[in-house]
Amino acid sequence: MAIVELNNVEVSYGAIKALRGVTCTVEGGAVGLLGPNGAGKSTLLRTLLGFIRADAGEASLFGYRLPAEALEARQRLGYMPERDAVARKVSAVSFLTYCGCLFGMQRSDAMERAHEVLNYVGMGDSRYRKMQTYSTGMCQRIKFAQALVHDPKLLLLDEPTNGLDPEGRLEMLELIKELVTKRGVTVLLSSHLLPDVEHVCDHVLVIHQGRIVREGSIGELTTARENLFEIRVREHQEAYRNALETAGCVLQTLPNGNLLVEKPARLEPRVFFELARAQNTHVRHFVAVRHRLEEVFMQAIGRH
Amino acid sequence: MPIYEQTYRAYDGKPLRGFRWWVMVKQELRVLFGTRAFVYLLIVAVIHTSFRVFQITVYDMVSVSSQTPALMALKNVAMMQVDERTFFDYLRIQSSLVFIVTLFAGSGMICNDFRDNLIEIYFSKPLTRLDYIAGKSITLLLVGMLLTAIPDTLLVVLHNLLAPGRETLRETYWIPFSILAFSACIVLPCALGVLASSALFSSERYAGIAVFMIVFGNSALGTALPELVRNPNFSIISLPMAINRVGETLFAQPRKSFPLHWGWSALFVGLVCAFCCWALASRIRRAERAS
Repeated sequence: MAIVELNNVEVSYGAIKALRGVTCTVEGGAVGLLGPNGAGKSTLLRTLLGFIRADAGEASLFGYRLPAEALEARQRLGYMPERDAVARKVSAVSFLTYCGCLFGMQRSDAMERAHEVLNYVGMGDSRYRKMQTYSTGMCQRIKFAQALVHDPKLLLLDEPTNGLDPEGRLEMLELIKELVTKRGVTVLLSSHLLPDVEHVCDHVLVIHQGRIVREGSIGELTTARENLFEIRVREHQEAYRNALETAGCVLQTLPNGNLLVEKPARLEPRVFFELARAQNTHVRHFVAVRHRLEEVFMQAIGRH
Repeated sequence: MPIYEQTYRAYDGKPLRGFRWWVMVKQELRVLFGTRAFVYLLIVAVIHTSFRVFQITVYDMVSVSSQTPALMALKNVAMMQVDERTFFDYLRIQSSLVFIVTLFAGSGMICNDFRDNLIEIYFSKPLTRLDYIAGKSITLLLVGMLLTAIPDTLLVVLHNLLAPGRETLRETYWIPFSILAFSACIVLPCALGVLASSALFSSERYAGIAVFMIVFGNSALGTALPELVRNPNFSIISLPMAINRVGETLFAQPRKSFPLHWGWSALFVGLVCAFCCWALASRIRRAERAS
């Protein structure tokens, strides 16, 4: 059974169509939700939470129809909103215990679980402080913790690394990755930061103007380019460069010293090795350059 | 799992199927009772109750041993009399305190959730709008009842304990029902009005000021309009007077407010409550969509 299933879903705010016939299925793993501002990412998440009723089409989570059976579905999902959300007057432990109780946990269980989850997201003794004293990064961790407190099967994460320093960002991404790979939690990650998506997700959905314009695994989408290679030779690099240029290749030296070589379509890749042999050197590094996710994204939204 | 282990553990407990609003009530009460100013306000409420305890104690002691002429005279002092009027007056005086306490406790209850973006967190849990509204309203109702129905009923019990007998019981058996109904009449519009204002305004200060101004303006209008049109029945547009009119009937008191049938006053109070509920529900619905 698919965890998320959307079939021709349409949502509009008055005259504005926010989602136009969105159809997709999420079976598991980590899925990145990419799209420019106003593309419909947040509307899609809100529809999955059952906040918004679709004008047309069908949406379901874990087989529960939305929004009719949203409460059953919400029991199994955790949501981390984009905006800062803190209960200022209480401590993190108290807030998470409360969140656990809202999921139907016994207070003692919820309290124990709150400590575990806060420990997991790296909140030390500050968990006992009132939340109004927290930094942006700490609030981000609390938002993540509250989404995990009831051990959800699906996590909807909206810009989870917002406001985090580089170290905190990496830590957060590693936590999400661990949940996916080791705990089998399905993650739907909405982010503008393509490196974050690349770090965590194995699939992406590119949404633009309310439509899914591209979807697939990152491996499939970032296919190798046909004629572009990154090459490094052991010695006689200058002679090798000249030989490549003579053969009709276009060259560029990368900051790491490697050569970025675009060969003419008529040449076979083995030419690189033959030319190296002719120049009395060896090829030490030879990689077909792949499409970057950024390029795929820009292409999908028609900016390329 | 030892607490120092930074790892994620699956939760294998079964969630309870219960009233989620009750979880909200408990949390709100926990937060309120953790606020010093709120506790001070409750202490102020105790002062009036202590005076009533003193009054009932003195009156009932005198009733039992009314041999001395000085004590007999004390029994006839109107202020020391204990009858249905005592319990009605207690609630009337407490109603201003209920207003202040409800304003303090409730004006930030919803707008702070909006400000802190907690609405979308709450509604991402298995919580309905009704649970949310019920949770907040019942918290304020309980706080209101803590200041009105509960102590007033206890005063009736005290009166029966100090002056035991069939006569006292016959005189007072119906009073707890009147207390409950009149308390609901005071607390419900107050709680729902403050919550609706909290939902409609962006800050607790504005919400509090708005409620205060509405009640003040409404009372002033309720006093001025009957004079202007020379018809005392127009006093009904003042919510405190309408509530008072219902109270007079519930406690079998002579009419002092206005001659219109009490049913109209009850209807007016009901309409105010219904309007507040509607405003509250529609604002929460909009917030849920926009969160």
